[in-house]
Amino acid sequence: MKKAPAKPEIEESEDAMTRRKALSWLSGFGLFGSLIITAFSNLIFIKPRATYGQPNRFSIGKPDDFPSGARVSLDQRRVCIVRDGDKMAAISTTCTHLGCIVSVSETGFACPCHGSRYDQDGNVTGGPAPRALPWYQVSLAPNGEIEVDKDTEIEPGSYLRV
Amino acid sequence: MSTKTTSPWKSLVQLPENVWRSVFRNPLPSSDLGRAQTSFTNFFLHLHPVKVHRNSLKATFTFGLGLISFFLFFILVVTGVLLMFYYVPSTTQAYDRMLDLRGTVAFGIFLRNMHRWSAHGMVAAVFLHMCRVFLTGSYKPPREFNWVLGVLLLLVTLFMSFTGYLLPWDQLAFWAITVGTSIASYAPLVGKEVKFILLGDSTVGQEALLRFYVLHVAVLPAVLSLLVAIHFWRIRKDGGLSRPEEEDALAADSAAQMEVVSGPAVVMATSAAAAEAAKPVLQKRHYGIQGLVRGPFTKIGNVPDRSVFAWPNLFMAELVVFLITVAGVLLVSLFFNAPLEEPVNVMHPPNPAKAPWYFLGLQEQVSYSAFWGGVGIPTIEVLLLLIVPYIDRKIAGVGRWFARERLLANSLFLTFVVVNVILIIIGTFFRGPNWEFVSPW
Repeated sequence: MKKAPAKPEIEESEDAMTRRKALSWLSGFGLFGSLIITAFSNLIFIKPRATYGQPNRFSIGKPDDFPSGARVSLDQRRVCIVRDGDKMAAISTTCTHLGCIVSVSETGFACPCHGSRYDQDGNVTGGPAPRALPWYQVSLAPNGEIEVDKDTEIEPGSYLRV
Repeated sequence: MSTKTTSPWKSLVQLPENVWRSVFRNPLPSSDLGRAQTSFTNFFLHLHPVKVHRNSLKATFTFGLGLISFFLFFILVVTGVLLMFYYVPSTTQAYDRMLDLRGTVAFGIFLRNMHRWSAHGMVAAVFLHMCRVFLTGSYKPPREFNWVLGVLLLLVTLFMSFTGYLLPWDQLAFWAITVGTSIASYAPLVGKEVKFILLGDSTVGQEALLRFYVLHVAVLPAVLSLLVAIHFWRIRKDGGLSRPEEEDALAADSAAQMEVVSGPAVVMATSAAAAEAAKPVLQKRHYGIQGLVRGPFTKIGNVPDRSVFAWPNLFMAELVVFLITVAGVLLVSLFFNAPLEEPVNVMHPPNPAKAPWYFLGLQEQVSYSAFWGGVGIPTIEVLLLLIVPYIDRKIAGVGRWFARERLLANSLFLTFVVVNVILIIIGTFFRGPNWEFVSPW
């Protein structure tokens, strides 16, 4: 008794439902999309555009402040300034393992945290460090001072001639 | 109580009683109906079922671990809010505030101890709770999703604890977070971004302290509370705590007997005498609105025979667990002070720089391979935990500790637990300067 009238209803609704279904999909898509956009906007919001800590571009003084053969570790800046003749470079002193500060040693660099060791150029020679210490771009500013840019990593072994 | 009473004097005399009655609708129950109504008319009690299976009350079945986790969270919220009155998330002030808590604030040191030890206790309790649920096979259908929620709760608990670790801004805090966030940066593709967003800067500093503070006191507690609410709600919707199959068989028997009463025509084969014998027992029961709750086990006619009223059985058990938890935290906090090391010195990392104890297994793994130990294996472990109830769906050995039918699953899980515990022990006691192997003796 009940089934008989139900059948044409379904057939009827199948055609009629197309528009409804399409609209449902569309609104579902819209709502879900808004959710994604909101989440994404929040992610953009919490990613800082300006940082308030140490600047990543800084000046370290005149080239003459660093005599040839000098390996000066600037712990505050977490960078080691290397001068060899008229060539200058800046090597990171942040251990690539877990972020401790490596110290300058006889053979290169050594990390006090987990015993990672690096050679003079920052290549890993021992310990758990997964990759070499990055080299940062150094340039000569118009006022004659050396500028280090920690946002730009350069090929290890490339020096600035001064 | 009489409606004829109109004299203001009489109202005044009855005031205390009337106020009491308006808050607590029921007098202390002396009948089953009263016990059911007590559970139903009290906001806090109505989260519980009116009747609860005896097996769920067995201390050796649950060890109250879920409740202990929740009560520790409760203690953490209370002590945490109190500590917020004095704490400032600033790199120049945070450490001084820690010293103030020790030196000048009344009960300051005690509250900090309670907060710290409860946090450690909660990590341990949540983990042990997970072990209990696994080893009793309680994650099986229909409880799969609640297990997933539980795994998420474990992760949020760990993250809660981790974000709280930085706030004292001492050496331990600073280097633990430096190590911890560096581990995060090993994640493929997004690792570097995650670390930067988490710290708000390229190194751990003021931004990181503020971010961790907001996560710790606002975002994560809200997420945790929501998950806990759903977790609790699901316990009831999934038919209460798991119990052995024999118990369900018993329940099915009683359900069959119910049918004898409701539809005698169907069970002509059963002797009428048996039906008559069953009748008086069954008719004594009171069924409240709980009968409408749909679920695998709580329907009318399928109420397990071995259930007892939540009032007072369940509530007393919960009170005892609560008191034991509070007493434990108070005792530990009386005798042990929360560690506070020297103020942050960015130039001199302690050697070895260690993460919080529950991450030392992770750090031990990291010392072998940064990616696999810090990201790869933990991710696989979490994914396996999340998916296990959808893989292992055979309903056998549910509701019993170390059921013979679950030998394989339990062995695998215990291996996972033992390996992690051993890694944590090695990381905690056997690792010295430069993360080299040392003897703790």
